[in-house]
Amino acid sequence: MKKNSMLRVEGISVSYGPVRAVDNVSIEVNEGEIVVLIGANGAGKTTLLRAILGVDKAQSGKVLFLGNDITGKSTDRVAKSGLGLIPEGHLVFSTMTVLENLQLGGYHNPREIDSNLESVFESFPVLRNRLDQTAGTLSGGEQQMLSIARALMSRPKLIMADEPSLGLAPKVVSEIFDILRDLNKKGYTILLAEQNAKKALEFGNRGYVMETGRVVLEGPTQELMSNPEVRHAYLGSNV
Amino acid sequence: MEIFVAQLLNGLSLGSMYVLLVLGFNLMLLVAKIIQFAYPHLVVLSMYVCWAVLRYTDNMLLVVLASVASCIVINIAIEPIFRLLAKRHGLDINVSFVVSMSMALLITDVMSHLLNYGYPIAFPSDWVGKSIFSSGLIAFSAGQAYALFGGIAAVVAFFYLLYRTRQGRVLRAISENSLLSSIIGIPIVKTRVLSYGVAGLLGGLTAVMLARLLGSASPGLGDFVGMKVVAASILAGLGNLKGGLVCGLLLGVAESMAIGYLAGSWSNAIAFMMMLIIMLIKPEGLFGIRA
Ligand SMILES: Nc1ncnc2c1ncn2[C@@H]1O[C@H](COP(=O)(O)OP(=O)(O)OP(=O)(O)O)[C@@H](O)[C@H]1O
Ligand SMILES: [Mg+2]
Repeated sequence: MKKNSMLRVEGISVSYGPVRAVDNVSIEVNEGEIVVLIGANGAGKTTLLRAILGVDKAQSGKVLFLGNDITGKSTDRVAKSGLGLIPEGHLVFSTMTVLENLQLGGYHNPREIDSNLESVFESFPVLRNRLDQTAGTLSGGEQQMLSIARALMSRPKLIMADEPSLGLAPKVVSEIFDILRDLNKKGYTILLAEQNAKKALEFGNRGYVMETGRVVLEGPTQELMSNPEVRHAYLGSNV
Repeated sequence: MEIFVAQLLNGLSLGSMYVLLVLGFNLMLLVAKIIQFAYPHLVVLSMYVCWAVLRYTDNMLLVVLASVASCIVINIAIEPIFRLLAKRHGLDINVSFVVSMSMALLITDVMSHLLNYGYPIAFPSDWVGKSIFSSGLIAFSAGQAYALFGGIAAVVAFFYLLYRTRQGRVLRAISENSLLSSIIGIPIVKTRVLSYGVAGLLGGLTAVMLARLLGSASPGLGDFVGMKVVAASILAGLGNLKGGLVCGLLLGVAESMAIGYLAGSWSNAIAFMMMLIIMLIKPEGLFGIRA
C-alpha cells in the first residue's frame, strides 16, 4: 500500500518565553489515516496543532502540507489551503446563528454552500432544526458538533481535532467519535489530539505520545496499546 | 411647543450625522481593533473636498463621488500605519488612540495652514437650501432634510450590509473572535481593510450631508465633532453599534434642546455633563460594551 504524505512536521519547536511547549517534534499524517496525538495536560498537543496552522509561530523546524512548505504562512492562508482545525473548547461565534456559523465555515466556496450544508446535515441532523438559534445558546455538545460541522463546510483535506470530547457527557463523546469515524470512512484524513488515551487509541490507526513538549513514543495504535509504559501511564493499568 | 418641535427636528438631523460617524468609528474599533480618533477630522477634510469641487461644478453626483472617494482613499491609506503598530505593540487600542490623535492634529493643521488660507469655508447658499417647510418658529431646511433622510438611508444600508450580506457576516465574525476567524480561513488583513473602506464610504457621505446641514466648515470642526463622536460611543458602550444609534441621536437632540432653551454656547458643556453622569452610573455605557 502506497502512502501519500499529507502533513509532515519536521522538528518544530515553540516556546512561550522560557517555556518550551513543543520541543523538536516531528510527525507525519498520510492520506486517509486517523492519527492520534495523546498526552497529559500541558504536554503540548494544542500548541503543536496551533503551530501547524501558524497561530503560534515555530522558532525552528518546518511544516509541509500537501507537499508545500507552509511554515510561517498566515493562519488564514493555511486554513484556506485545506487544513481544518476544530479548536479546543468547542469554539463557536456565539453571537451569531447556527446557519451563520456554517456559512462562515464555507467562506471560500460560496457556490457550494447549499450542497455542503446538505452533506453536513447528514452527519449532524440536530443542526438542521437549529439554524436560526444563536450559537451561544447551544449546549456544549451541540456547540462541539457545530464546531466540527463548521470545519466540514470548507471541505478540508485534513481535519485536526483538538480534544473534541473535552467536557462532554460519555454518550455525546461516543457520538462524536462515531461521527469522526464516519467522516474518515467518507475519505477525510484526521489528526486528533486527545487526553483520553484509551478512546483515542481505539479510534486511531497510528499514534504519537507526547510528554512535556516531546514525542516520546510513536507507532500503530495496536502496538501503543500493548506497550507497558503506555498502559501504565495512560491506560491506568498496573502491568 | 413650537420651539420643542423645531429643536427636535434640528436635533434629529444633527444626531443622525453623529450616528453615521459613530457607526464608522465603531466598525473600525470592532473589526480593526483601533480607536480612529482622526476619523471625524477626515470627514471634515472631505467637506473641504466637496467645497473645492463645488467651485468647478454643482453636479451633486460628482461632489458625492469626490467626497466618498477622498474619504475612502485616505482612510485606507492610513491602515498600514495601524497594522505596523499592531505588529510592534500587539493590538493595543490605547496606542492607536494616541497615534490617531496626532493624525487628527496633523489634519487640522493642514486645513488651518494650507486650505483656504485657514479661513472657514462657506458652501453656496442654494447648497444648504431654503426652508422646505415652515410654520411659525418651525423651519425645516433642505439641508436638514438631506441630513435626516440621507442619514436614515445610510444607517439602513449599513445595517443591511452588516447583517444580511456575506461580507457583513465576515466583519461581524472578526469583531467577535478574530483568532477563530483566521482559523476557519477568513482573510483577516483583507477584511480589516474592508472595514476602513466601509467607514470611509460612510464618512464621505456624511461629509456631503454635513456640508448641506451646516453650510460651512472650519479647521476646528474636526476636533469639535470628534469629541462628540467619542463621547456618544462611550455613552453607548464602546463598540456597541445599536447603542451608538441611540446615543448619537440623543446627543444631537440634547445639544439642540440646549440651544433652544438655554444659552446655545452651553450646549457642549451640557453634552459632557450628561456623559459624566451616565458614566458615573453605568461605567460600561448605557448599552454595555460590544453587544
Ligand atoms: N499562550 C501561552 N503562554 C504561555 N504558556 C503557554 C501558552 N499556551 C500554552 N502554554 C504552555 O505550553 C505548554 C503546553 O500547553 P498545551 O496547551 O499545548 O498543552 P496540551 O497538551 O494541549 O494540554 P491540554 O490537554 O490540557 O489541553 C503548557 O505548559 C502551557 O502552560
Ligand atoms: Mg490542549
